[in-house]
Amino acid sequence: MLAVFAVATQASAWSLEEAAKPYAGTELEVVFLLRPGYEAAEKMIPEFEKKTGIKINIIKHPYENSLSEQVRDFVANGDLDIALIDLVWIGNFAENEWIVPVDKFTKNPDLADPELDLDDFFPLVLNAFGAWNGVVYGLPFDNYSGLMFYNKCMLKEAGFDRPPETWAELKDVYGPKLTKDGKYAFALQSKRNETQSCDSFARVLWPFGGSFLDQNFKSNLLSDGSQTGLKFRQDLMQYMPPGIVSYDHAETINALAQGDVAIITEWSAFYATLTNPETSKIVDCIEVSAEPKGPAGRKPALGGFSLAVASQADEKEQAAAWLFIQWVTSKANAKTYLELGGVPARQSVYKLPGVAEKYGYVNALVESWQEGVPEFRPRFAEWPQMTEIVQEWGTKIMLKEVTTEQGAKEIGSRVEALLKDAGYYDGKKPLAQ
Amino acid sequence: MLKIRHPRLTCLAFIGPAVISLLTIGIGPLAFAVYTSLHRYQLTNLRRTPFLGLENYQTVLSDYVFWEAMGRTMKLLIIVLPIQIIIGIGIALLLHKPGMSVLRTLTRLSLVIPMATTYAVVGLLGQVTFNIKYGVVNQLIGFLGFAPVNWIGDPNNAFIAICFWDIWQWTPFCSLVLLAGLTMVPVEVEEAARLETRNWWTVLRYVQFPFLIPGLTAILILRTADTLKLFDMVFTMTRGGPGSATELISLMIQRVGFRGFDQGLASAQAIILLALTIILSQLYIRFFYREV
Amino acid sequence: MIVSNDTIITPGETRPSVHATKGFSSKGYRPLAEVLLLLLIIVFCIFPFYWMVTTSLKTQLEALASPPSWIFEPTFANYIQVLFKDNVGQSLVNSLIVAVCTTALALILGTPAAYALSRFEFRRKKDLWFWFITNRMVSPIVLALPFFLIVRKLGMLDSHIVLILIYLTFNLPIVIWICTDQFRSIPWDLDEAAVLDGAKPFRIFWKICLPLAAPGIAVSAIFSFIFSWNELMYALVLTRKVAKTAPAMAVGFMEGYNLPYGKIMATSTLIVIPVIVFALIASKHLVRGLTMGAVK
Repeated sequence: MLAVFAVATQASAWSLEEAAKPYAGTELEVVFLLRPGYEAAEKMIPEFEKKTGIKINIIKHPYENSLSEQVRDFVANGDLDIALIDLVWIGNFAENEWIVPVDKFTKNPDLADPELDLDDFFPLVLNAFGAWNGVVYGLPFDNYSGLMFYNKCMLKEAGFDRPPETWAELKDVYGPKLTKDGKYAFALQSKRNETQSCDSFARVLWPFGGSFLDQNFKSNLLSDGSQTGLKFRQDLMQYMPPGIVSYDHAETINALAQGDVAIITEWSAFYATLTNPETSKIVDCIEVSAEPKGPAGRKPALGGFSLAVASQADEKEQAAAWLFIQWVTSKANAKTYLELGGVPARQSVYKLPGVAEKYGYVNALVESWQEGVPEFRPRFAEWPQMTEIVQEWGTKIMLKEVTTEQGAKEIGSRVEALLKDAGYYDGKKPLAQ
Repeated sequence: MLKIRHPRLTCLAFIGPAVISLLTIGIGPLAFAVYTSLHRYQLTNLRRTPFLGLENYQTVLSDYVFWEAMGRTMKLLIIVLPIQIIIGIGIALLLHKPGMSVLRTLTRLSLVIPMATTYAVVGLLGQVTFNIKYGVVNQLIGFLGFAPVNWIGDPNNAFIAICFWDIWQWTPFCSLVLLAGLTMVPVEVEEAARLETRNWWTVLRYVQFPFLIPGLTAILILRTADTLKLFDMVFTMTRGGPGSATELISLMIQRVGFRGFDQGLASAQAIILLALTIILSQLYIRFFYREV
Repeated sequence: MIVSNDTIITPGETRPSVHATKGFSSKGYRPLAEVLLLLLIIVFCIFPFYWMVTTSLKTQLEALASPPSWIFEPTFANYIQVLFKDNVGQSLVNSLIVAVCTTALALILGTPAAYALSRFEFRRKKDLWFWFITNRMVSPIVLALPFFLIVRKLGMLDSHIVLILIYLTFNLPIVIWICTDQFRSIPWDLDEAAVLDGAKPFRIFWKICLPLAAPGIAVSAIFSFIFSWNELMYALVLTRKVAKTAPAMAVGFMEGYNLPYGKIMATSTLIVIPVIVFALIASKHLVRGLTMGAVK
């Protein structure tokens, strides 16, 4: 009885304010993007600062520059204390030892929140965004799944009362009927940056049974699955607006929001933009569902960012950074984060009553996070170089400067050279992606 | 003019600091760039920097992406330079006439604006004005009865857009340089010529042209060097896209070095670019600083 | 072309009219055509600037009107947001600090050198010239790469001093160029007189020639300021937050959902106005500065 009482008091004795006392006054630097999840976090920060006395300095960057900025900082022993890790950078950051594994902090009773509950995170998400080679480095913060957003009014007008189930259906049935009078059926963001590799290129590989690499880490882009997928994309382009190769997220979301395009497959985070009357003309017509299936099943795009402690920070900053990361991704704060426009990765929050009804994308999101593929894009250290290759040739294929086979060959040979150099083929490096 | 012979020490004292500064800030990094170009220097993997010898250079010279970027840069130059010169001469001739001095001065002053505008801003301006939906350019051509054009999203049109802005920005330069040349023509000669003929083309061709040659040479060499340097405007307008339609040589090197993080390769590319620039500057000196 | 120092006729000034003697009919459509052409040129040069300023005064909603509107209610909201909330104000200050300091440094190092080159005899002048010209012509990326690595090793990334120093690579040549030219135009008699009086070279330079060369020095300072202010590549590569200059800041506006055109243009206007003002002041010397003295 006494033992239970003792344990109970000890468990309830951990509080953020107490834990943060030694670090009051510490200033932390972190890079944030210009996206809804970060704005939500920004609104939550004053509360954290008040409770702990720890100040958070945010440097905002477009996604385009965020990797370069962080790499330059880490390489020059700069000031960043928290690393914002896109899931594809985790291999790189981990191997360069720029980030600290979480168990340094979770094992520390002074810093570890007993309510942390790592199991509450969607396993796919925690694994994909925050872990590398079995070690957890970061907690999922800005989480996305690819979802299909569509304009149900436009669909209804064309005679459809449900969204397309499969990619083939989208192209063959919905495409022709919805592409007329200056409107288009579909828009696939394909700008020559990470968007091309992830949103455009990878999206048509997996559902068709293709992949970037085979199990020996050789290029798999000439396989039937991959080629079918890439050719499918070429074919689908006739139902997309012209100049689609310069469409990034902003342009694609806008196209749907302004009523120029009927269907898009974009990141879940943009739900807030599409349902906001200030930025969307189709607030009454917007609907969400999971991405279409391909012959190999539903393989939605997977993307997201985790926050990890940067190893270049000193001990105090590291501890303070951990407290922040833990707090902003906590179970308790998940609902607030959700309400402010963010997308948490906590399973518990989506089970709360009323949440699924209020946020139309929840069901689709939860479903997508059950089925996704963690290596949607390889996350190893060589990805930053590999993505440059994919981006370049992926857009060349779309611009019809090369055929899908030629493009696949070029990507294949260059990527293989890259991986060979890194030592994957002679056993120097384990085949982890 | 008595040339004062000062002791060596004085000369050094005067010119020394400047030279030393430029040596440290200019040559030092250059030497390091050469060093880097001989190694593998991946920013995301600085633990291994093996010596590669000339491998980076080999890669660069055999990589057709590099040559494509060079080709694009040259293509831009070949397209815009004639236009800039022709329009430049036209403007120069217009400004060379007397009368309406207020209007002419106003014109001369407004020519300064394109040249002074921050190049990065020109690119941003380009994005705003050439936007397919919100851009004023499509609105204007709409008045003339044309359908809206997708400028920045289409490879060819994006290239046209950057050509346009380069012309906007540098034609004034050409015109002012050529105007300076025109003012060098001795008054009597020009007068005499105009007494002989009313044809402006004849006057231009036989009387004014020789005085324009220095200006033209300067324009040719400087614009070539500047186009090799061209980065800001294109970066902020298209970032080299769509695809690589507007990826000029400076943009490519920046991408390789700071987005692909391969500093070794980028350094090799930069050194090759430097070699070209040196050739150009030698030419420039040969023409203009014969007696120094 | 010999760099001469006799009467410099700046373009556009009135000269004895070569045309009025005979020939051109000054009636009829000719003047009208000329007026129209000149006006066209003016409009063409100024229109983008006009568009930039008007867009900066639009609200976000207004700026995204399609087709764009020419008449609207102006607002300064963008400027206020951009200056105080988005750190653009800070970046402008950075630009100012860097531009002023590097110009000052360039003048301190460059004017004595220019004086020397205009007065003293010594060999290897040609090499110096070559070095200066190459610096003006070379693409910044060539130096940015190694500079980044070096500065990183020294732990000096993202500091003002780094930019101030690296900008010397193009400022110093300009200053030396223009000032050499200017010093050459100062007659030697003053020098000689001073030497006969027993004055040391430095004294001659400081007390006599420098003040007389003031116009040229001012012009070179203006050029140095303009080029430093406008610079993008080095700022992009070498700064992150603390020393970020305004052009680098402007580039960061390029993502986001609704591309904030109003804010982007407001930032652009703030960046561009100082340099345009300076350029107009120095407009007579623009050509000489840009061609490194080859053409006046």
